[in-house]
Amino acid sequence: MENKQIIKEWKKKSILIGSPTNLIAAATAFIPVLWLCTTYNCWPDINIVLAAWGMVALSFGAFYFVEPISYYAALGMAGTYLAFLSGNIGNMRVPVAALALDSTDSEPGTIQAEVASTMAICGSIITNLCFTTLAALVGAAVVAVLPDFLVAALTKYTASAIFGATFGNFSIKYPKVAIFSLFGVLAIRMGLKLPAWSLIVIAVFGSLAVARFFFVQDQKKAA
Amino acid sequence: MEQVLKVANSSVAWLLCSITVVVSFVQALLYMRMAKKTAIEAQLPPEIVTKSFRIGLISAIGPAMGVFIVMVGLMAAIGGPMAWLRLSIIGAAPTELTAATYGATASGVELGGKGYTITVLAVSWFAMALNGAGWLIFTGVATPALEKLRDKVSGGDAKWLIVLSGACSLGIFGYLCTGEILKGWSNAVATITGAISMIFLVKCVVPKFPKLMEYTLGIAMIIGMVCAILYNEIAL
Repeated sequence: MENKQIIKEWKKKSILIGSPTNLIAAATAFIPVLWLCTTYNCWPDINIVLAAWGMVALSFGAFYFVEPISYYAALGMAGTYLAFLSGNIGNMRVPVAALALDSTDSEPGTIQAEVASTMAICGSIITNLCFTTLAALVGAAVVAVLPDFLVAALTKYTASAIFGATFGNFSIKYPKVAIFSLFGVLAIRMGLKLPAWSLIVIAVFGSLAVARFFFVQDQKKAA
Repeated sequence: MEQVLKVANSSVAWLLCSITVVVSFVQALLYMRMAKKTAIEAQLPPEIVTKSFRIGLISAIGPAMGVFIVMVGLMAAIGGPMAWLRLSIIGAAPTELTAATYGATASGVELGGKGYTITVLAVSWFAMALNGAGWLIFTGVATPALEKLRDKVSGGDAKWLIVLSGACSLGIFGYLCTGEILKGWSNAVATITGAISMIFLVKCVVPKFPKLMEYTLGIAMIIGMVCAILYNEIAL
């Protein structure tokens, strides 16, 4: 099969798997609470549920749209379905997908890149499911015997270090863009009190604009 | 509260929460099968599949250990089964705790405090399920449109598409890193040393030992964490 045809097939199948599973998960996540209310006859006042929903939507509603849009280029189609069902996107899914592309010399947009990032994301999902299941079984006992500094390191600093490391790896390839993405965003963050969702938009589309500027300049030079 | 947690930790709750965890697991299996089949059709080298899978499996161990510990904390607040469900799918612990707290606040009580009855627990569980559904429904419905958006922005230019993916990732991690840096000095140390050690590893070590590439993320993560702990020891 020709490459283009394979990519087209890949996208079609990605939707066929991802779309129903994500929607099913959205529905099945309600089963426990419906069971709780029916069994113990503890249906809460609908207005209270709506009030709680309103507060949640105010805090996170913008992220429902902003995050999938911003992460899309880094995750690809199958990766988006996988990552937004399994969560842990910034600290697991995107870093492992990026590392898989680097380690296998795959260029974004190719079928090899899709296969590599999908396999890496699936691997990380299996690891995460193993650890959450372990936590459910023996978590309390394990945490009780871990030294405090290790608990602090694992809860406070893993995300920081992973974010830094992944940023560092991308900055090697696009150092000029990286300067904006880090120092520009840092300045905007410290200078203006903006809501978090708008900061993601500024960081992603700002970096995109800077990259476009240098990309066009380089092409002019080459021409 | 004890009574509430007894209900929240009942075996039926485990069983019902496992449904969603299984959906996530099955989705991953389906995509793996598809990736393996496609790799054969496209005649990709077989090690692309195995190597990438190994990278995901191993590199996720560090962050998954973090999830492990956070989950133990969450279990005390919302019960084991629900913590297991919530941390196996979209929504990190702080997000879930916020949603659960909003459930309590809307009912006029504190999370896990006095007056946190089964009815309030139900509001918390509703709030978390409604919140998670936001991402799931949007991606479940709109992902093909996102693909079209990427096509439009890239304009079919393969070279620009590569730069575009890199720039978007830099933007995302610039946003995430600056958030960590502004949390305080020890988080800043972890972020910056994590970045520097990754650059050092990729630029100086990997060219000599190419096999090390797939472990770079894990190594850089450990260096960043150790530096943050050392900073704490020295500073305090």
